[in-house]
Amino acid sequence: MSSNRWLATGNYFTSYQQEQRIFFTTLDRSAMGLFLLLLFVWPLFFEVGNKYMFVIDNILVAVIAVIGLNLVTGFAGLISIGHAAFVGIGAYTVASFATVLGDRHMLITHAWPLLIVLSGCMGALFGALVGLPALRLKHLYLAIATLSFQMIFQWVINFMDFFNQGQTIAVGRVYFITGRVERSEHYLFWYYVILVLIVCIAFGVRNLLRTRYGRCLIAVRDNDRAADAMGMHPGFTKVYAFALAGFCAGVAGALHAYLYRGAGIDSFTLHHSINYLAMAIVGGLGTLHGAFWGPLAIKVLDLQMERLSEWAGTYLTAATNLTTALRPLSFGLVIVLFLMFEPRGIANWWRIVRSYVKLWPFRY
Amino acid sequence: MSYFFQLVVSGVVVGSIYALSALGFVLIYKSSRVLNIAHGQLIAAGAFITYALTVWVGIPIYVSFPLSMLATFFLAMSVERIFLRRLIGEPIISVIMVTIGLMSILDGLIYLTPFGTENFSFPVFLPSDPISLGGVSISWTQLVGVIITFLLIGAFSWFFKKSTVGISMRAVSDDQLASMSIGISVPRVFGLAWAMAGLSAAAAGGIIGNITGLNFDTLHAFGIVVFPVVILGGLDSILGAVVAGIIMGLIQQFASGYLDGNWGLNGTGQVLPYIILLVILLFKPHGLFGIHEIERV
Repeated sequence: MSSNRWLATGNYFTSYQQEQRIFFTTLDRSAMGLFLLLLFVWPLFFEVGNKYMFVIDNILVAVIAVIGLNLVTGFAGLISIGHAAFVGIGAYTVASFATVLGDRHMLITHAWPLLIVLSGCMGALFGALVGLPALRLKHLYLAIATLSFQMIFQWVINFMDFFNQGQTIAVGRVYFITGRVERSEHYLFWYYVILVLIVCIAFGVRNLLRTRYGRCLIAVRDNDRAADAMGMHPGFTKVYAFALAGFCAGVAGALHAYLYRGAGIDSFTLHHSINYLAMAIVGGLGTLHGAFWGPLAIKVLDLQMERLSEWAGTYLTAATNLTTALRPLSFGLVIVLFLMFEPRGIANWWRIVRSYVKLWPFRY
Repeated sequence: MSYFFQLVVSGVVVGSIYALSALGFVLIYKSSRVLNIAHGQLIAAGAFITYALTVWVGIPIYVSFPLSMLATFFLAMSVERIFLRRLIGEPIISVIMVTIGLMSILDGLIYLTPFGTENFSFPVFLPSDPISLGGVSISWTQLVGVIITFLLIGAFSWFFKKSTVGISMRAVSDDQLASMSIGISVPRVFGLAWAMAGLSAAAAGGIIGNITGLNFDTLHAFGIVVFPVVILGGLDSILGAVVAGIIMGLIQQFASGYLDGNWGLNGTGQVLPYIILLVILLFKPHGLFGIHEIERV
C-alpha cells in the first residue's frame, strides 16, 4: 500500500479494520496533527482584531451546532426544524443559573466547563423528549414535532418572567487559571475553548460513526425497515440521534451564552433553525467535514449580504430594511439551489478535487 | 354563560379560517406527499395582494378578493413548476427541505415590501357596529368572513367529489401509477393541487386580514398553526382538516379566555396547539380521520 493516499491508485485494503481506521498512514496522521497545531498557534503570530475574532468564534460555535444537526439530519435522515431551540436550551441553562445565583456566582465564573457539559446534557434530555414520537413515526412527522418544539420553546422564553421575557439575561466574565478573562482577551480565550471542544466532539463523532451504533444510524437512514429486519431498533436509534444532536446543540448554546455574555431569544428563533439547516445542507449532509464548510460559507454569505445592504441602503429610502429582507432571501435561495443542483454540498467539491488529483493526468 | 358563548363564537370564526387554510395544506400532502412548510407565506401573500389591490390600486374589495385568489393560484402553481417539479422522485426529505428554503425565500420577498415591517388595516366596508344576540356579539366582518369560509369549503368539497379534475386528483393521491395508466397527467395534478392550495390560502389570508388587520407575524403564525390542525385531523383527510380546524380554534379561544391571567399564564392560546400536537404524535399519530398507513417491504 502506498504511503501517500493522494497518489495511491486503488483500494488496497485487505480487512475491514483497515478500512475503518481514521488515519490510514503516518502522513495522514502527521498532516492532521500539523493542521491542528496550526489552528492553535496562528493567533499568536497574527494580531487579529476583536471584531474578526468574534466572527471566527461565531463560526466555530455554529460548527458545533451543525455537527449535531448533521448527526440527526445527515446521518439519521430526520429533518429537524427546531435546532435553534436546542441551542437555546443550552444557552438558557447557563442563563437560568445566572438568574437564580446571580451572574457573578462562583459556579458560573469558575466552574464554566461543568456548566457547558451540563448544558449539553440538558440539550440531550430535551432532544430525546422531542425525538420520542420517533418510536412510532417516520421522518415527516418528526419534522413537525421539532417545529412545534421550536414554537413551544419560543413561547416559554417569551412569556415567562423567569426568563426575563426573552430580553437578554447577563452572564458574568469567567475566570481561568491565569485569572479573570478581561475584555481584550475575551474572544481569543473563547476561541481556544471552542477549538478544544470542537476537536473533542469531531473526533468523538468520527469514532462514533465507526462503531456499531454509528453504522446503525446510517442503516436506519437508508432503509429503516431493512434495519429493523437486521435486528436494530429504528425507533430507539432515532431517539439516540436526537439526544446526541441535542447534546452538541446544548454545548454550542452554552458557548454562545458565554461568548455573547448573555442569552436572549433573538438568537434562537425559527429563522436561526433554518440557518442551521442551510449550513448543514450547504456543507453537505452526511459528511463530517461538511459541518465545517457549511457554517463558514453561510457566515461569509451573511457578512457579504450585510455589506451589500449597507451599500444599497445609501441609495434607497430608509423605510425598507434590507438586512432583514436579504438574509432570509439569500439563505432560502442557497438551500433551494444547493438541493436542486448540488445536493451533496460543498463536501462533494472536496471529493471531486481529491479524485481529480488522484487520477491526474487521466480523466477517469 | 354569555362569556362562554362569546368564546364559542370567536372560536368558530378563527377555527373556520384554520379549516380553510389547512384544507390547502392537506390537498398538497394528499396529492404529492409533500409537507408544505411555506404555507403561511402563501396565506400572507394572499392577504397582502388583496390589500395592495384594494387600497393602492383602488379596486372594490369584492373584486380584489377573487383577483388576489387568482394571483396566488398562479403564484403557487409557478412555485410548484419552478422548484418542485424537478424534485419529483427525489427523496422526500430533500423535497421538504426545499419547501423550508421556499419559506425563507418568500419571507425575504415579503420583507422587501412595506408589509414585512409595517402594520396595515383594511378600509371598513361593512357596518361597524356588531350584531348582538342575547349577550353574544359578532362583528359584521367576522360574520361575512365565516360565511365566505364555509361557502368556499363547500365549493372545495363539491369540486373533489364531483368534478372531473377533482376526481383525478383523488385518483392520483390513491395510486399514482394506476392514474397515469388511465391518462391522468400526474405532474399537472401536482401543479393543480398547489394552485388550489394557493387559492384557499389566499382566501384565508384575505379573511384574516379583514378581521385582525395585516401584520406579517400574525399571518406567519396562522401558517404554522396549520400543522397542529392537520396533525389533529389526520394529514391526509380533508374532513379532518375542517373538523380539527374548528376544534383548534375553539381550544385556542377557550385557553386564552379562561387560562390567561390566571396562575401567571399569558398567551396560552399561542402555545396550546403545539403541546396538543406533541401529545397527539405520541398517542394517536394518525389523527382523528387520517389513514393508518401499512408499510410493506
